[in-house]
Amino acid sequence: MKLLKRDHTRLKKLLMRAYHEREAPEGDELWQMRVMSHIRSLGPVRSGRGYIALFEQSVWRLAPMTGLLVLILVALLLSFDLMPDYEMAKIFIDDPVEFTVVQWFGV
Amino acid sequence: MHQIDVPESEMNNGSSKPSDEEIVRRIIGGDIDAFESILLRYKDHVLKIVTKHVPYPEVEETAHDVFVRAYQSLATFKERSPFKHWLSAIAVRACYDFYRKHYRSKELPMSSLSEEHQEWLEGVMSDRSDQSFDDKVSQEKARELLTWALDRLSPEDRMVLELVYLEGRSGRETADLMGWSVANVKVRSLRARRKLRRLMAGFVEA
Repeated sequence: MKLLKRDHTRLKKLLMRAYHEREAPEGDELWQMRVMSHIRSLGPVRSGRGYIALFEQSVWRLAPMTGLLVLILVALLLSFDLMPDYEMAKIFIDDPVEFTVVQWFGV
Repeated sequence: MHQIDVPESEMNNGSSKPSDEEIVRRIIGGDIDAFESILLRYKDHVLKIVTKHVPYPEVEETAHDVFVRAYQSLATFKERSPFKHWLSAIAVRACYDFYRKHYRSKELPMSSLSEEHQEWLEGVMSDRSDQSFDDKVSQEKARELLTWALDRLSPEDRMVLELVYLEGRSGRETADLMGWSVANVKVRSLRARRKLRRLMAGFVEA
């Protein structure tokens, strides 16, 4: 049997009524005492937010700036057309001045 | 029962009861007993929320857990939103965690239905008027059918179905309570409703 929209609305109404009619327990004095004794056993609330929470907060605050910085660096690298191997080889081969990088390393 | 003494300057708009925020400040300041005022003020509210979501024998234990969680998280309470709303979110998430825990361990027995339930559901879907479903037996059947269907859903589907479909909460409200995004609530709600409809249809056809 296929559930038509009309059937579904009626069923929903009945299910909603059944859902809402459940009665909550009272939470008597014994229950309250049990909760309070558990709370007392935990000791005072720590007012300071722990180091982990503070670190977490800082990380998320810095995240947008870090992301932006990474994007800028990537854009710069692309625009410079930097090829590190090529640049390094060029320095060694060209040897434009007396005191070369090779000499600087004591080779 | 412990009643806290609050200086007149800290009273809420001249009324005799201190505001929730004032009590929270006192608890954070080291007055653990002040939490009893929170417990007395909100126990009915929390028990009402928990009763809707978890099986009756587990209600008090889960509500107990809600207050312990609230106490442990008091330092994170920001006074921008009402305390009641903050506590409600803790209660709803505790119920969700209850089902996540039991769903993983499969500890909760699944309810089963009889031919009577099938006949009842067929009756609902036939052309009879709503009036014939007002009696206690019918309400009992509806409750058992609902429990049966919800037991077959994942904790996520179950919670979203209860909050959106059965309690009529908005996507934003549900998202705030569950700590999910509104889009997530909408997608889950749609899927959960489809699953419920499929379960009901499958039961009738069986």
